[in-house]
Amino acid sequence: MSAPSPAGAGSMPGVEAEYFDGQHARPRRVRVQRRGTHLLLHDVSTAADTSTATALRALPLAEVSWPERTRHGARIAHFAQGGELHALDAASWDAFVAAAGVRESLVVRSQQSWRGVAIAALLLVALIGTAWRWGVPATARAALALVPETVDTQLGDAALAQVESRWLSASALPEAQQSALRTEFERALAAARPSGARPHRILFRASRIGPNAFALPGGTIVMTDELVTLVAGDTAAVVGVLAHEYGHVERRHGMRQALQAGLVGVASSLAFGDFSGVLAGLPALLGTLGYSRDMEHEADADAVALMQAAGLSPLAMLRFFEAMATWRKEHGRNDASDSALGIAFSSHPPDAERMARFRSAAERR
Amino acid sequence: MVGTGSVVGGTLPLFVARSVERASASERSLAPQPIVRQHAVSFHGSGSEYFRIWIVNLLLTLLTLGLYHPWAKVRRLRYFHTHTQVAGHAFDFHGQPRQMLRGTLLVGLMLGAYSLAGHFSPLAQGVALLLLAGLWPALWRASMQFRLANTSWRGMRFRFTATAPEAYWVMAPAFLALVAVGGAFAAVPDAAPSAAAMALPLLLLGALYFCLPYLWLRLKRYQHGHYAYGQQQTRLKTTVGAAYGVFLRIVGVALLATLGLGGLVVLVLWAFGAGADAGAWQGALMAAAPLLFLLLLVTQTVPRAYATSRLQNLLWSRTGNADLRFRSELGFAPLARLLLKNWLLVMLTLGFYWPWAAVAVARLRLQAVSLRSRDSLDALVAGATAARGDAAGDAAGDALGIDLGL
Repeated sequence: MSAPSPAGAGSMPGVEAEYFDGQHARPRRVRVQRRGTHLLLHDVSTAADTSTATALRALPLAEVSWPERTRHGARIAHFAQGGELHALDAASWDAFVAAAGVRESLVVRSQQSWRGVAIAALLLVALIGTAWRWGVPATARAALALVPETVDTQLGDAALAQVESRWLSASALPEAQQSALRTEFERALAAARPSGARPHRILFRASRIGPNAFALPGGTIVMTDELVTLVAGDTAAVVGVLAHEYGHVERRHGMRQALQAGLVGVASSLAFGDFSGVLAGLPALLGTLGYSRDMEHEADADAVALMQAAGLSPLAMLRFFEAMATWRKEHGRNDASDSALGIAFSSHPPDAERMARFRSAAERR
Repeated sequence: MVGTGSVVGGTLPLFVARSVERASASERSLAPQPIVRQHAVSFHGSGSEYFRIWIVNLLLTLLTLGLYHPWAKVRRLRYFHTHTQVAGHAFDFHGQPRQMLRGTLLVGLMLGAYSLAGHFSPLAQGVALLLLAGLWPALWRASMQFRLANTSWRGMRFRFTATAPEAYWVMAPAFLALVAVGGAFAAVPDAAPSAAAMALPLLLLGALYFCLPYLWLRLKRYQHGHYAYGQQQTRLKTTVGAAYGVFLRIVGVALLATLGLGGLVVLVLWAFGAGADAGAWQGALMAAAPLLFLLLLVTQTVPRAYATSRLQNLLWSRTGNADLRFRSELGFAPLARLLLKNWLLVMLTLGFYWPWAAVAVARLRLQAVSLRSRDSLDALVAGATAARGDAAGDAAGDALGIDLGL
């Protein structure tokens, strides 16, 4: 039963391991050797010494799936035709595998060294930073083309219902004043967009968020009574603010923000989804408070263009900003963080850069 | 919370020898009185090691916009499997990433079609939902079969012996209940429904909640009743009453936690100066936000830890057969403490602590389980080899994020 194995059995290099044939749960002790392109297994479980070990199996190296080196994990190699080899001693197994010429992939090598991991971590941070800054917004802009505008309207209507129930009530302004302001804006819009404008509507509301204006996806623009009274008849300023909000509507900034939030949510689920849904949702929430600076700049540019087309001076906006600053000081609102509505005008108080842009635009014409 | 149940669930074999067909009569004659042997489950993974795997996985997955995900998943499963040992031998995972990639793409396509249908009309969405629901039991079964058939212990693969028609039969009551509730809610007129109109849907919803333990047990019996290894097959021996008992206790703990949270929130807000007017409330809310978030975290984690530990203990301690029995003794307090610690550290490190968290939870949950056998485990012999599962099923279990507790 135990015939002496062919030449080479006297000195048996290789490594001892446990062999499972895939049909029985009982292990057999074998000696593993590499002979050319094949792996030889010799049964040493019943042999008194190595010279009487029986040849058990020979299989091509290509059919072996080698395990990765881990500190405490079992090293289990499996064969394409079935069967497994379990290492008995990790060190001698690793030495044998290295000597047998089995190469580890780049991925495995980088996992094994802390330097590789550090590089991977840095690359990861760089990738996430790039994605956050450019990748996600660019993808959102591209995806915007796929989203029909009916979705915008649905989203905007839902948002309006929520906002109205919390902060808005019916306007106290006389109807004549409201329609006068609307007409003024429509006139400016017609001058700036002779080929027609996007569907939109302008609503005036009394509110608890001070002088403010915001635009919702779908074209609903809301302006608070407090803003109208603040500028006290400066129609140019009202038209300027409405034009800014119309810029958001025309460029579908609200929908873009929603898409960006969705993309961030998907990406964070990929990383953290295993752990919990709440954690995965958090980055998306944090990343979408209000419009981005770029969007605000685009809307500002639209406002300037619209005002100039209507023959109004952009200086009116500067007057408006100053009036806002005074109002905020009077009412003790010193920073944007206490504005409850992220997309509202007051959440992005003008910095020097924005004001300079309006000033230079006024000087150019 | 152990990585979508990938570690604890289906990879732990439940063996129930129904018949008394022993491998060899000689073994019986040598040991007329079978000694009950206890085998502990041990987990040897380390957080730092898994971190290295995790970070490279994450980088490559993001670089390839998700296409690397099956390779990452195989690497993760192999790591957790080869570090879990029972009776001195570890498990291994044999899934092929290319197969799993096809599965992931297929499921992604289905979900994409479903959300696209939603943009066209509610009718299209309803049709898409029905199609998805129709495929779901088959995918679920295929997912479990794939996972089990690609898990091995001591060289032999596990099997999932359930059939697809059985899966439909098992899930039918749940689907019907959901359709009934959904239909009742959809039938209510949109504008300002009266109390009488809402009564029926709410009643049906309440009935659904009441039936939840039974529906859950039905699923679990199907799952745990079909794990096979060698000649052994498993069975879940628990009564509906026991399931209701556990669920009621979980609900009780959750209620306590919520009430506790409510009381604490009021206290905190009052301490931060909330008064009678709206402005003070808002100010207090803003100032106390971090503390409130912490409170929310604690009261969310504690019931979850309770639910996880009690359900794991219920399922695994009642699984076994005449010759093999599992036993799970996962404590609620250690798990709650661990989950809280994990949450805090994950947030503090902006997520980088996550691999250590996953390994710690896996260790706690796995090492709470032990196996008792009335015979030598060597006597197990492989039966007929099962057909390889369809990889699409595995992706379905993953992509939809439904933790079926394999």
